[in-house]
Amino acid sequence: MTKRILSAAAIVVAMFGVTACSTGGGDTASAADTIMIGSVHPLSGGLAGVGGLMNDGAKLAIEDINAAGGIESLDGALLELIDGDSQGSAETGQSEAQRLISAGAVALVGTYQSDVTQNVASVAERAKVPLVIDVAVDDKILSQGYQYSFRIQPDASSMGQSGANELVAMAAASDLTINTVSYIHIEGAFGGSVFEAFKAEAEGLGITVAKEVTYSGTNFSDATTQVADALTVNPDVIVVTGYFPDNLLVAQAVKAMSPDIKAVYGIASGAFDDSSFPTSAGEAASGILSANYHYSATSDRAADIRTRFEAKYGKAMETSAMLSYQAVEVIAAGLEEGASADPVELRDAISGLSLEDPLLAFKGPIEFDERGQNKNASVIVMQVQDGVIQQVYPIDFATADLVFPTGQ
Amino acid sequence: MTPSTSNVLIHDTETEEPTRRAFVLSPAWKVSLGVTALAIAALALIYLVGDRADSLVTQAIVTGLLLGGVYALASLGLTLIFGVLGIVNFAQGAMLSMSMFIVYFMVSTFGMNTYLAVIVTVPIMFGFGWLFQSTLMNRLSGDSGHERPLLVTLGLSLLIINTLLMIFGGRPLSVDAPIEGSLRILGAIADYPRMIAFGGAVIVAAALALILKKSPLGLAIRAVSENNEGASLVGINVRRIYALTFGLGSAAVAVAGGLLTPFTSLIPSVGDQYTTLAFVIVVLGGLGSIPGAVIGGLFIGLLQTVGSLYLPGSGSLLLVFVVFVLILFLRPQGLLGAKK
Repeated sequence: MTKRILSAAAIVVAMFGVTACSTGGGDTASAADTIMIGSVHPLSGGLAGVGGLMNDGAKLAIEDINAAGGIESLDGALLELIDGDSQGSAETGQSEAQRLISAGAVALVGTYQSDVTQNVASVAERAKVPLVIDVAVDDKILSQGYQYSFRIQPDASSMGQSGANELVAMAAASDLTINTVSYIHIEGAFGGSVFEAFKAEAEGLGITVAKEVTYSGTNFSDATTQVADALTVNPDVIVVTGYFPDNLLVAQAVKAMSPDIKAVYGIASGAFDDSSFPTSAGEAASGILSANYHYSATSDRAADIRTRFEAKYGKAMETSAMLSYQAVEVIAAGLEEGASADPVELRDAISGLSLEDPLLAFKGPIEFDERGQNKNASVIVMQVQDGVIQQVYPIDFATADLVFPTGQ
Repeated sequence: MTPSTSNVLIHDTETEEPTRRAFVLSPAWKVSLGVTALAIAALALIYLVGDRADSLVTQAIVTGLLLGGVYALASLGLTLIFGVLGIVNFAQGAMLSMSMFIVYFMVSTFGMNTYLAVIVTVPIMFGFGWLFQSTLMNRLSGDSGHERPLLVTLGLSLLIINTLLMIFGGRPLSVDAPIEGSLRILGAIADYPRMIAFGGAVIVAAALALILKKSPLGLAIRAVSENNEGASLVGINVRRIYALTFGLGSAAVAVAGGLLTPFTSLIPSVGDQYTTLAFVIVVLGGLGSIPGAVIGGLFIGLLQTVGSLYLPGSGSLLLVFVVFVLILFLRPQGLLGAKK
């Protein structure tokens, strides 16, 4: 028995030894020429559309960095992206992350879904390879005390919280008072945590959350009853959190009922600031407000990247793809700063970064706190006006004037 | 009723003695009347002591019925194919998506009216179903087991979804509803596109029932569904009937998918959300029963929306499955299914 344990231990030690050697060896061998970055996104399955866009965003960033001369502090070392397909499932995402790391990736970007990101973050932690999260909103991911995970966008609870603040600020700016809201959200960690954070903050600001209506993410094909339910308390505003198809249904149901409310206001809504929403919803989209993270529509650099992306891939560059681009930039900046392609040193360099001129609309540089969360990440408010999504609040980021009440 | 009946395509009355038909309700009719009475009683109770605003309950009922019509529509093709071929068509959801994207393609490329595009999609899907059955599935019909046809439809489903993904990408697409707006019924909102889909369900169910009951093709289909060996002995080309039935089922799917497009975000996996409930409805209504699919669809739609007034989130879906299990326990053949 002891023998067996001993031999098992020997195998484990040998395996660790081999991994350690291979990372150490790979580092010195490849530092001069190319540095591999692994990308894990849903490239097939129901989320393949957005996953593909994000992968393209990361690819474009790599090309831009290489075209500008690569990583200067590493003798102009070039970057290379290796793709992993999570297929939208946490298990596959995990094994893909492992595959990319053993193929020599010194850092990972990904993954769009919170549960997949959770698994990939634990792989990254064990392998001591930094993961820069492009999109994944769940608070839980960074509350594990991980040292190797970083997130650029705001997390769920800060979105709910700043969503409440922005609502009050917008109302004040428009000489309105918001007394009651009804909140319609998807059930589960995402919808629940944004709602809880909103409620806590809003009630501190004197807003009553008079009604909470939840719906299931599956088999949801008509939102009329949920909207009717939300309207029974005569709210000033209907607040909405969820994904594209369900939030589109909510917008359509509100339009059909034409209630006497001041606004429909999405927080972290997957639909309301998506470029295909105005076309999909038509009239129903008009005036809808959405507090979310968003690529900076007032930044020339972001505009240039979007134009080139669209020319190259023939599709509009959604915010998620812009975040993938930004995540690669964070890794590149870490490589530049640390002057090393060793994953552990890269991690230290990223954690100390202060990256000016972010591609997303928030004040201040990208800087990570001890959890790996970007300290300066915040939401901005967008509004559908004449079939176009405009940034309307805060005024520093505005591309159009806020219309409030919105005329639903 | 003849005890040998395995699948019932129209109704139990089909196998009833003609002399008794005028005076005695068949068990299936009794069941459907019973279910309706029970549903009405339950809804009345909710109005009276349900502790919810009347307008909200009315809204839930209207939404539930319209949703139920959509569910029924999505289930008709499934129940027909199962009734005759005994195949559980796992590609049902993918075929729904496929017909939606054909409609989308015609609307976006040729600027066709959405409902005209639905009509054009019907023969295309019929051809697709016919071809699939006659070239591929008929080769497997000699098999004793159910696994191979089942796996082939599963494979077809993956093939369709990934092809759609390749051609159209995964971003949500949409088509315009030519007739927009909504009607107010007793203070509740009913969308025109959803009402049209409801009407489509009634028409497709009636058309399928008529074809099966009145046409020579229907007679042949019923004969094959009763006993394919006997049918082939009297000169019916069983394989041809199989192919035509799969084609008919696919045409029903085309109508369903097409009528859903004006109020659905199109992504390649969009049909899947209707599949699980379609299976529930088909089993609940009685495998192979067309009126069963309609009644089952309406029942599930109502249960889901009215249930959501009391059980938020997925609670109402849970209720659907609880009732489903209960009914199967009390009446294993489904509401309108024939006793084995």
